[in-house]
Amino acid sequence: MDVANLSTGQSLMLSEKLFNKVTEIINQLLVSTGAKTVLFCESNGYAVTQVGAVREFDLHALSSLAANNFSATAKMAGMLGEDDSFKYLYHEGEKASLYISNIGFNFILIVIFEVDVALGIIRIFTKKAIVELAKELQKAQDEGEQTRQLLDKEFKSLLSQELDRSLKF
Amino acid sequence: MFINHALQEINFKIVYYGPGLSGKTTNLEFIHNYLHPSMKSELVTLNTREERTLYFDFMQLHLDRINGKKPRFNLYTVPGQVYYRFSRKIILKGVDGIVFVADSQKARMSENLDSLLDLETNLIEMGHTLQTFPWIIQYNKRDLHNVETINVLQTKLNFFRTTHFETVATTGANVLPTLKTMINEIITKIEVLA
Repeated sequence: MDVANLSTGQSLMLSEKLFNKVTEIINQLLVSTGAKTVLFCESNGYAVTQVGAVREFDLHALSSLAANNFSATAKMAGMLGEDDSFKYLYHEGEKASLYISNIGFNFILIVIFEVDVALGIIRIFTKKAIVELAKELQKAQDEGEQTRQLLDKEFKSLLSQELDRSLKF
Repeated sequence: MFINHALQEINFKIVYYGPGLSGKTTNLEFIHNYLHPSMKSELVTLNTREERTLYFDFMQLHLDRINGKKPRFNLYTVPGQVYYRFSRKIILKGVDGIVFVADSQKARMSENLDSLLDLETNLIEMGHTLQTFPWIIQYNKRDLHNVETINVLQTKLNFFRTTHFETVATTGANVLPTLKTMINEIITKIEVLA
């Protein structure tokens, strides 16, 4: 897997093996904490994998908002002289709360939990999960895991046809 | 671009850039209204009290599977006003293609130019340039009476001779062809790089 910093015009890939490992870790986090939902997103807001209750909200919109929220606060951290982004963001609601952390440069973790779950539990287990996720991401990078090429020549013409059909040109 | 092999998802990011009130949000609103519910996410708008874009607008367009692959396009707008430059930089992170929405009105030429130069400055900081990056220019508000001619707009704004469209985002005229062409240019660019 390519886990280099994602910048404009570059691509990032996540293999099936790593996807399964990540899903296993966040599922363990969900079970350990009693959180409602755990989302693993790419830092530009692409939802990657999620466990728990996810049908109650728009996954893609939430991922985009969380990722851009995190990026904005990282900029604020820089303005305050911090070398790195803030470690986490915590938003407390009356019914549900959000705990957002980064995993290196390329991914973020969003934990949604209800009032009956203590913040301390979320913090402890999320920290543990982040260590495990970072280890798996690093391992994939060290192994130089190769991903299969998805974008072949045929894809472009089929995509064009699908756009014509979907957008009804 | 982000590829999730397990789910066979290919994700792209397209940003609508341009000066304040040029029609970026209106582009997204038209696209969102046009699409079938099964093809789109919620349209997220983060506005000021005056209904101007504060941070960004967002929606995702998802197409049916193509050879088993699911293409998804995350569409963003940036806030156009000059003082939101940090927000624009954040939104540009990881962008695959840019639609520059210019305001065709004669009085808005300098704002168009300022925004275009702001875009180029940001791209250069990210190691790119408009000369090579996939982008399209949209001359919007062609229905108004005080608009500049296409020749003048092309000369003053489209110095890299990228693809251009004449649009009326409020009615949707040429909004979808702009999006389709943008997507094709991104895919072509990826083929070239591969």
